[in-house]
Amino acid sequence: MTAVQGSTSTAGPESRQMLRHFLGLMGKSVFTALVLAFFVIPVLWLVFAPFDAHPGLNVKLPEFTFNNFKVLLDNPTAIASLGNSLILALGSMVVVLVLGSLASYSLSRVKIPGRDLLLYTLLLLSSIITGTAAMVPTFLLMVKLGLIDSQFGVILVLSGGILPTVIFILKDFMDSTPKSYEESARLYGAKPLRILWDVVIPLARPGLATIAVWAVVQVWGNFLVPYILLRSPSKSPAAVVMYTFYTEGGQPNLALISAFSLLFSIPVVAMYFFVNRRYGFRFHGGIKS
Amino acid sequence: MASITTRSLIKEYPGGVRGVDEMDVTIHDGEFFALLGPSGCGKTTLLRTIAGLEKSTSGSIKIGDREVTNMEPGQRRVAMVFQDYALFPHMSISDNIAYPLKIQKVAKAERHSRAEEVGDKLSLQGLLERRPGQLSGGQQQRVALARAVTSRPDVFLFDEPLSNLDARLRLEARTFLKKLQLDLGVTTVFVTHDQAEALALADRIAIMRSGKMQQLGTPREVFQRPANTFVASFVGSTSMNLLKGTVADGGVMIGHQKVALPADAVGRVGDGQEITWGARPEYLDISLNPVHGGLEGTVTVSENLGASALITVELPENGDLVQVVVSEDHEPVIGTRLWVTFEPRRTLLFDAEGLRIGD
Repeated sequence: MTAVQGSTSTAGPESRQMLRHFLGLMGKSVFTALVLAFFVIPVLWLVFAPFDAHPGLNVKLPEFTFNNFKVLLDNPTAIASLGNSLILALGSMVVVLVLGSLASYSLSRVKIPGRDLLLYTLLLLSSIITGTAAMVPTFLLMVKLGLIDSQFGVILVLSGGILPTVIFILKDFMDSTPKSYEESARLYGAKPLRILWDVVIPLARPGLATIAVWAVVQVWGNFLVPYILLRSPSKSPAAVVMYTFYTEGGQPNLALISAFSLLFSIPVVAMYFFVNRRYGFRFHGGIKS
Repeated sequence: MASITTRSLIKEYPGGVRGVDEMDVTIHDGEFFALLGPSGCGKTTLLRTIAGLEKSTSGSIKIGDREVTNMEPGQRRVAMVFQDYALFPHMSISDNIAYPLKIQKVAKAERHSRAEEVGDKLSLQGLLERRPGQLSGGQQQRVALARAVTSRPDVFLFDEPLSNLDARLRLEARTFLKKLQLDLGVTTVFVTHDQAEALALADRIAIMRSGKMQQLGTPREVFQRPANTFVASFVGSTSMNLLKGTVADGGVMIGHQKVALPADAVGRVGDGQEITWGARPEYLDISLNPVHGGLEGTVTVSENLGASALITVELPENGDLVQVVVSEDHEPVIGTRLWVTFEPRRTLLFDAEGLRIGD
């Protein structure tokens, strides 16, 4: 009713309002499109370039070919490096899950003065361990330990860098497990490790799955640590090997790099979807709400 | 099956607060024993100390003839049902019930058949493959009981087992619990803040306050002959009327009105002694005609209790309030002047410290 009256008596303000609304909508759409393009274009490149006979740094519809993958499969270091990445990622994941759950469980259950301060400090300092600043001392330490050019050494350093964050996140999951569950198990004679395995770990499973994916992603993409600590090319992970793909002319070999990048990213994306489907973020409660 | 004995048991928290203070109690073999008190009185702490989940500061606990004071909870052969039931949400009902057997390394087939057997006894047929989250509150409670039964303990410990159920279900579960305990004959200690629950279930009740035992007795003793004014006001669905008064020539002066001396107190009090006179609303009656030795007052509030009503009578002069339970046929209208009557043997006297006078 009011709209009809408005349009008959005063048409001016009404159309101006519509124009403003239209312009606002336009502005919003353009802004969204720009932001979207910023994130989508690299992904499009990753999807198209591997199948392009002459890949460049721009995104274009490919002259379709599988040749890039054939070249990649003929390159012995490339495929082996994916295996190395897998060793590093899974190794670190295991170390992080085992040590992380033990540490976070005990930190969650045992009262130590200054516990929170300790956790926050560790969290702050953790970025330094795998960061550039600590690379020289880390390198020297690994030389002293005789762990240079050892995948085990790389796993240790990477796990060390990830663990504080892992403990911090997992402690929250452990905290949310009701104490009565454990006390109940204790009364039937279960020992702490048994309780951790039977009761606490199953309940923290969504947390552990998240941590596992996160650890794999962190290690999978890490370049600096394996680059510095590993000497022999046969042990290098994919992230480091990719750095060596140059043509004879000294130009980056985009055909090889793009195909390899696609292969390199698939496991991580697949793992994310798998874990999200399998575990998601559910929590079964045993208590009447 | 076993008795439980605590000697000078003390549980002191950091900061010097005592959850359990000098507790000496013997719980007989096969007894259904209630620990009753307001929240924060230490009843749960005592239960947890018996279970071994809290370490006692000093004193001793014996279960049967075994000294368990410094034993791990798992070695005490006790089973506890928690207020939240503590069922493992990721395990099936069958696995939950059989968990104590898993710890004892019983083979899987045997575990399964034992879980089924206990499940049948606790009317959990057809639910064994479900998860706790799919069960109602009452069913979850029975699963928690079943798990406790499976471990074949010497002692059951229940921490407010009924408080998470809604009112109607609670009555049902109460009857079930009492029957189960009778059938199994296992010594059972249960903690509650609900005096009606304690009166209904327990063979004997211990009433606690600030970590100290106030009274230990059968439901009838605790109800009729409370040891002190705290117990008198805590136990009973309506709390006892407690009025300040003085002893004067063979009676008790409440304001200017004189009532008869309670039977118990005859010969134990002297004139001029300051006392508290107590009478349960259920044991009082009213009369619309003046009664010698009755308390005169005016009705100010009337609360319907179904087949009866709880009326509040205000005494003149000092404004003391007396509550009386009257049957629905005799409910007076507000403002009525009446006389509160009673049998002297149903009334009690408490001394200045609040302790009951008499044996």
